[in-house]
Amino acid sequence: MAELNFDKVLASLRLRLDEVISENEFDEISKEYLGKDSLLSDERKKLSTLSKEDKKSYGEKLNQINKSISEKIIKSKQDFIEKKYSDLEDSEDEDVTINWVTKKGTHRHIISQVMDEVVDIFSSIGYKVAYGPEVETSWHNFDALNTPDWHPARYESDTLYTNTNLETLLRTQTSTVQIRHMENNDPPAYIVAPGRVFRSDQLDATHSPVFHQLEGLAIDKNLKFTDLKGTLEYFVKQFFGSEIETKFIPHFFPFTEPSAEVLVKWKNGEWLEILGCGMVDPNVLKHVGYPEEFQGFAWGVGIERLAMLKYQIDHIKNFYDNDIRFLEQF
Amino acid sequence: MKILKSWLNDWIDIENIDSNEISDALESLGFEIESRIDKIPNYKNIVVGKVLDIYEHPNADKVRVTKVDVGSKVYEIVCGAWNFDINAIVPVALPNSEIKDGFKIEKRDIRGVESNGMICSASELDLWDDHAGILKLSENTKVGSDFAKIYSSVDTIWEIGVTPNRGDCMSHLGIARELSRYFETPIKSNEIKLDPNIENVIKVNSGKTKFCNSYLSVEIENFDITDSDIKVRYRLSSVGVRVINNVVDYTNYVLHDIGQPLHAFDRDKLFGTVSVRKAKDNETLKTLDEQTRKLSNEDLIITDNDTPIALAGVMGGYNSEVTESTKNLLIESAYFDKVSIMKTSRRLNLISDASIRFERGIDYELQNKGLERFISVFKNDQNIYYSKISSSKKESISYEEVTFDKDDIFKILGVEMSDDFIKNTLSQLQIKSKVTSNKITFKSPSWRYDLERPIDLIEELAKHYGFNNFQSTLPVGNNLNNKGEYWYKRKYISELLSSNNFYEIQTLSFADSESNKIFSPEKNPVTVINPIDQTQENLRTNLLFSLINTYKYNYENNSVSHKYYEINNIYDDGKHKLYKNIPNQEYSLGFLIPEYETNTDSRGELIHNDIHSLTNFIKLLFPQVQFEQISRPGFHKNYSYILKLNNQIIGFMGKLSYKAQSSFNLDNSLYIMQINTENFNLNEVEVIKYQPLSSFPFIKFDLSFSVKNDFRASELIEYIETLLPNNENKISIFDNFRNEKSRNLGIRIVTRNYNKTYTDTESGDILDMIVENVQSKYSIKLNKSGNDAT
Repeated sequence: MAELNFDKVLASLRLRLDEVISENEFDEISKEYLGKDSLLSDERKKLSTLSKEDKKSYGEKLNQINKSISEKIIKSKQDFIEKKYSDLEDSEDEDVTINWVTKKGTHRHIISQVMDEVVDIFSSIGYKVAYGPEVETSWHNFDALNTPDWHPARYESDTLYTNTNLETLLRTQTSTVQIRHMENNDPPAYIVAPGRVFRSDQLDATHSPVFHQLEGLAIDKNLKFTDLKGTLEYFVKQFFGSEIETKFIPHFFPFTEPSAEVLVKWKNGEWLEILGCGMVDPNVLKHVGYPEEFQGFAWGVGIERLAMLKYQIDHIKNFYDNDIRFLEQF
Repeated sequence: MKILKSWLNDWIDIENIDSNEISDALESLGFEIESRIDKIPNYKNIVVGKVLDIYEHPNADKVRVTKVDVGSKVYEIVCGAWNFDINAIVPVALPNSEIKDGFKIEKRDIRGVESNGMICSASELDLWDDHAGILKLSENTKVGSDFAKIYSSVDTIWEIGVTPNRGDCMSHLGIARELSRYFETPIKSNEIKLDPNIENVIKVNSGKTKFCNSYLSVEIENFDITDSDIKVRYRLSSVGVRVINNVVDYTNYVLHDIGQPLHAFDRDKLFGTVSVRKAKDNETLKTLDEQTRKLSNEDLIITDNDTPIALAGVMGGYNSEVTESTKNLLIESAYFDKVSIMKTSRRLNLISDASIRFERGIDYELQNKGLERFISVFKNDQNIYYSKISSSKKESISYEEVTFDKDDIFKILGVEMSDDFIKNTLSQLQIKSKVTSNKITFKSPSWRYDLERPIDLIEELAKHYGFNNFQSTLPVGNNLNNKGEYWYKRKYISELLSSNNFYEIQTLSFADSESNKIFSPEKNPVTVINPIDQTQENLRTNLLFSLINTYKYNYENNSVSHKYYEINNIYDDGKHKLYKNIPNQEYSLGFLIPEYETNTDSRGELIHNDIHSLTNFIKLLFPQVQFEQISRPGFHKNYSYILKLNNQIIGFMGKLSYKAQSSFNLDNSLYIMQINTENFNLNEVEVIKYQPLSSFPFIKFDLSFSVKNDFRASELIEYIETLLPNNENKISIFDNFRNEKSRNLGIRIVTRNYNKTYTDTESGDILDMIVENVQSKYSIKLNKSGNDAT
């Protein structure tokens, strides 16, 4: 009996598989070697003509070779797919360190963002935003805040005046809004007043004739110094993170008593002043005609100072130059 | 103010307390620490020497050769300083010694002469900055003694902030009193006993004025004007006072020691009674700085037989000045009214250590002690003759007793303080007090004019209790998560503009006169009477100038062309809408859109803006906005509009005029707008008008009208809306063709009735009705082609 030369078949299969360039060729190869018109199929047809013994042994041979071809094709197909994806991934090797899309920030000025953040913190504990004029009477900026004409504190800030009698001025502090608010609203009062203040300083790295403060005022029955402490500690932790340490040291402001400064412990271990505060002086409450059973506390915080600390901004001038390289960073 | 640990130790035993602990104490008592320097001995093997001989150097004329006796031996030393003579007592750095910063001194050859060490200056020994030459020691310093023993430089210098209410703390004694309570260590009394040995020659009188409560003086004879004692020079230099001579130094010393300013007169230049009064207007006085000052009736002056000789508490007079040839002294120690001193010193801009102390208020019982200490430190150094102290005092000032409820402490501070704590604190602060079961009565000591009211004493107790020992509680206000209209408006505008690639800017509020005039010549600006400079003499009357400047800055420096906005106040001289006595201020929004932006659109082309981009952004903010053409300075003739919301003017917008564009030197056209945010309510802006949906089919007409150039399409749309009142309408412009001769406006009307389907006839009738009405109302013509009903 003339048996098929299996080695030849396998050798031709190997060549065929090596030349595959497209995944769907594997189906063709299967058909070609194992299908109806394949050599193997022809051989199988011949089996019926063989003797019982030959039929059995040649049949087994054919089955073996059939299995072997089938496995080779499957294996080859798997390898081919594996290699295809591997090659594809090899070809994809971009330099991820290149920034094709440059960061352009939120388009909001950082001063506004910080004001928003501070307002949000206080709003979450029941404060409303109040505002007042920037060109103010000297009375609202000084006298009503317990700083009469002869008071040394009146000379500490270099005030810009807008009339020769010194009756109107550019407010030197947002504390004026305390007075405006209390004049027009009955207690209790829980307000924050972010806004511009002015000093007679030329714009440079560390000074600006215009800067921003946020004034806070809480007036109610039974507000105490311990409440002031808790409120400002809450703010500091919300703004700088709950790990930050704070301390309160005595200070002097004409319109609060007791007065304090709040310091935070910075990463380098340095203690930095970030806000001034105190219990509203009874004279201030008297000036606006609040009933005696009401008392409370007030504070003021510099917005640029907060922004400079939080974002490590070096020059105050940057806030007002509006250089696009600065604006884009926030 | 600077303070010295060794000096504080004169008043309270703190030498053995660690300087860190003292820093903590100072801070917790309310003295902000601006700086601190710890001095450690910085030199070795320095001895006291006496100069025996001085002669010329054979090969150099800038230095001399000296023979110096250092006790054990006589050395030849070359010296470059010229401020000493034979017999001077000086510090000598021997061979193998170390001076400041570990600098080693060895024997060395200086141009052929062997120099055995160095004669030292105060700076070289790290005592104080003094480049006048070598340090001369007192004549009775023992030759050969170890300099480190007679003079130890271990010390701490603090620079602290003293708040304006605490004039009493502006001296070493004042700080020591505060520390005394903190460390529970008593203040030393440092009593001085004087033994006057001459008669008083000059009469002094505190005058009739109420502004001088007491005027005291002492007279001194038989003294030399010379350097002051080394300890005084060290202490004064260390606290930043320039050393001059013994008389000046000792007055300064007393000021920094106990806080009493003194003034020295040359007694031989005084002729009668020294007294105090207010100056007359136009009276003059030549002060120490040789300037002739014109006085006002607010100035307090010292007179000699009624002739002005000094500005009380502020500056001495030239004619009674102490000079090198002064033989006899009159030393003044007075209590002047603080407001009076402040007004004079501020008006003349003469601010001194003395004036600052007077204006913050000094101890009204300190004047005698001031003179005692002056004599005491002077006679320690020289064998002087001095008189008894003459004194002219008015009925003495005294503080009232104040009583208040003990409960007030808890009511304000939120902590319970024990009676023991209260009593101890007040007694250690020398505040006389009585504490009963429910009341506290106190009387302020003579140096504490800041303790007038119960709240003052409560603050004092709180401070000594320690702010950091208070508990913290968090009260919640009454406006839960309601930030208010003002803030929401700002947020509304910011969010819309920022998300459309406008950059928010913050610019200064000032403008020069010219820039205000460009856009708002009709407004009178608010002027600053003491401006920082000429470009900042007015407050801005509009936001446009700052926007253009910012645009230009970034265009020129960073080659970028972007859209910007700013929300801030503008100001003018008119009346304020709400408040009396202040000028008008309008919280405004301004924005700027350049014709070409450096940003690209989705086709990769530079974004191009025109007048429609401007109107679109405004409609984004105010969907119901109406435009009304108006001519306005700085604006394009045709592209200048007033903006209205519900018939109320809210602002204006337009294109920068070509003339203004060229004067700003800009190659890009700019579209600008400004609105007053106070002129609208947020709820008016956000109104959404729902249009019900009809379930019937639409009919559609495309019409083309021949119109004039100044015809406004929006009017036509609004008018057609009124012609179809019961329908669901969608009316839009689809064409706006223009050439030199004519303009055609294409309008598309899509309309549905809410109740029925239109028949062809009805549809035709509607078309005719619209065309007829529009033609007759606007005198415009329908073009024949292009009108078909579908």
